[in-house]
Amino acid sequence: MTAGPGLDPDLLAILVCPVTRTPLRYDEAAGELVSEAAGLAFPIRAGVPVMLFEEARRLDEP
Amino acid sequence: MDQPAIFDRSLRRLRRDRAAARFADHAFLVDHMADELAERLAMVTRDFGRVLVLGCHDGRIARRFAALGRRIVNADPGFAFARAAGGVQCDEDRLPFADASFDLVVAVGTLDTVNDLPGALTLIRRVLRPDGLFLGAFAGAGSLAWLKRATLAADSATHGGAAARIHPQVDVRAAGDLLSRAGFALQVADGERLDVGYGDPIRLIHDLRGMAATNILAQRARTAPGRAWLAELFGRFQAEAGPDGRLRESFDLVYLSGWSPSPDQPKPAKRGSATASMIEALRPKG
Repeated sequence: MTAGPGLDPDLLAILVCPVTRTPLRYDEAAGELVSEAAGLAFPIRAGVPVMLFEEARRLDEP
Repeated sequence: MDQPAIFDRSLRRLRRDRAAARFADHAFLVDHMADELAERLAMVTRDFGRVLVLGCHDGRIARRFAALGRRIVNADPGFAFARAAGGVQCDEDRLPFADASFDLVVAVGTLDTVNDLPGALTLIRRVLRPDGLFLGAFAGAGSLAWLKRATLAADSATHGGAAARIHPQVDVRAAGDLLSRAGFALQVADGERLDVGYGDPIRLIHDLRGMAATNILAQRARTAPGRAWLAELFGRFQAEAGPDGRLRESFDLVYLSGWSPSPDQPKPAKRGSATASMIEALRPKG
């Protein structure tokens, strides 16, 4: 059913943006954790949330 | 975040990824620290429902802290370790966990190479629930004393100056101060020296590489040591080794523990709250 890697909901509930410490939106289709506040999308690679500022995609860039 | 960084974050990740493949061969130091912390935790009569393991390595730390009813979240600054443990990749000084998420945070073997250690400790305190426990261990000041001396001597002999090869290290007292500055209650920092015997200096360097503990200074020496440098290193090793040809290198381990503050904890009485006068009590009788 889920297109994404299926993050553990319990983990998802406590993950926040490492830059702004605000909640994240899980974009299952893209496999990303989106921080609207920081304008960053953190990738999920091989099931690992990569919560690094340097690895995040900027939302204003495609 | 904008101050000049001591450590190169991306190199730190790379070094951990490189160490991940054969980590079991070089895990003795991390195993020792984790065993010690697990032993200390066993003396705490308390249930810890949700646990964060920071510096999870290949998952070996979490195995020591697994218990019925505990949910463990693994996290590591390196991707390969995070994947091996089924965890999250993150830096300790930029933790991606909400406040009051954990009852216990265990940090093994990585806090010595964090750019913002006070920040990391503050974040650890924040992700703990009130009256949650933090246990940490890392190699601190005094570690690699022989290697420090020997590389300095080899540098002076071959380049006529010192190169930046050994990380700045945190000593026990500073670690204790950092814990209280980070807002922990009932905080304790103590040290333990572990001596490890080596038959030659390359084995030592090999071990350090295997545990992702080689030089990641942002301003590091970038020239590869040449033949003359290595000859100096070997010369010093042979001169200082014991009759069995082995040399003991020290790892000075720092252990930290602290509780996130809670109104129920014992604390010193407020200033001026005493009902008896100290002056009266100390006045000579008669």
